[in-house]
Amino acid sequence: MNNMEQQFLEAGTLMLAGMVFVFTFLTLLIIFINTVLAKLAVKFPDPVPSIRKRSNKKNNKAVSGDISPAIVAAISGAVTRYRQQHSQQPSSSQEAKK
Amino acid sequence: MDSLNKLWLSTGLANFELGQVIMMLVGCGLLYLAIARNFEPLLLLPMGFGAILTNIPVAGFSEAGGFLSYVYHGGIETGIFPLIIFMGVGAMTDFGALIANPKTLLLGAAAQTGIFATLFGAIALNAIPGIEFTLKDASAIAIIGGADGPTAIFLATKLAPELLGAIAVAAYSYMALVPIIQPPIMRALTTLDERKIEMAQLRPVTKVEKVIFPLGVLLMTIFFLPAATPLVGMFCLGNLMRESGVVDRLSSTAQNELINITTILLGLGVGSKLSAEAFLNVETLGILGLGAVAFSIGTASGVLMAKLMNKFSDVPINPLIGAAGVSAVPMAARVANKVGLEANPHNFLLMHAMGPNVAGVLGSAVAAGILLALVG
Repeated sequence: MNNMEQQFLEAGTLMLAGMVFVFTFLTLLIIFINTVLAKLAVKFPDPVPSIRKRSNKKNNKAVSGDISPAIVAAISGAVTRYRQQHSQQPSSSQEAKK
Repeated sequence: MDSLNKLWLSTGLANFELGQVIMMLVGCGLLYLAIARNFEPLLLLPMGFGAILTNIPVAGFSEAGGFLSYVYHGGIETGIFPLIIFMGVGAMTDFGALIANPKTLLLGAAAQTGIFATLFGAIALNAIPGIEFTLKDASAIAIIGGADGPTAIFLATKLAPELLGAIAVAAYSYMALVPIIQPPIMRALTTLDERKIEMAQLRPVTKVEKVIFPLGVLLMTIFFLPAATPLVGMFCLGNLMRESGVVDRLSSTAQNELINITTILLGLGVGSKLSAEAFLNVETLGILGLGAVAFSIGTASGVLMAKLMNKFSDVPINPLIGAAGVSAVPMAARVANKVGLEANPHNFLLMHAMGPNVAGVLGSAVAAGILLALVG
């Protein structure tokens, strides 16, 4: 019986020490996450947003006219030709009307 | 005639003992649970089969030089298999939910009460004639409350190898029974309004945080509890392989092929400890009973801690996620989600419950380290 009492006492000590330690350890981990990791998260954000920015930049550049001269030449040539045709068509129709 | 007699004596029928037959039936019971009821089949199937193999007369699977004796001594007694499994679990674990809401670590800590409270139960059982648990035995049994198979096997091999079979069977059986054991306790300790609580969306977690987290955990374990570094260290290694993103092949192997191979051998090795003389006694019944108590106390303390936190926290915390603090990843988190959905069909608690769930894995590893340091 004395032996059991002794064991209960040991178990009680073990429970107290164990629970205090588990809580302390995991509380320290909370502090670690809230301080170190939170700071790192601010300093080194994920590169995903910057990739989006890059792609936006590319689009912006494209819009602002940073296109190869060959493409510009081809498009302007096509536009000129279209305008020529467009300007001829109304005149011919006007002639027909006349 | 002589040779006929010799042939008869070499058959199983001539050599069967009652204990072996009963243990084979226990093995068949485990196979039934795994195949027909889908209870933790990954481990209960090889374990059940191992129990059948080890009880075959004449074959000597678990005797010196037998296949299962090599598996047991090489992989389980040395602690290698549970540690490899822990590495695989680390490679499968996403700590994002925990990092986003670190307060849930307290729920993982509270749920470990089940482990330490069971120590008393194990010692109280010594009052029953035929049961004689030492403090080491009691500690090995109590870890069932951590609801973490590899941790339970690791600690049992270090503190009470003769009880390994019963402890492993109890640990995995109760983990499989999480959806049955936990919900009544969760409902009894919470009001409908509490179960309806919806939680705020978690913040996104950066890759740097996820990479540094396992290193930080390891560093703290080295400083404060080196006895837990085998478990925590392998867990962190697996997690770092996953989150670093530079060793996808290793991470994939750890969480697939390696953990699968090890699970087969671990199951067979644990099954080899299910011999009649080690399993068919009053102590096994005591272990099975204590396991259920440990699990229930762990669940209850997690829920009560979450209720307490909800009272004092600025942001609402649904007490149901406290039940997920008892490890058993991801089953306990799924159960919290299911019970939450019953109360409020728009309440999705799964991600919130994953925080305490993985905190429970860390908590039970830390508790195992404490028991090893103080009792081992």
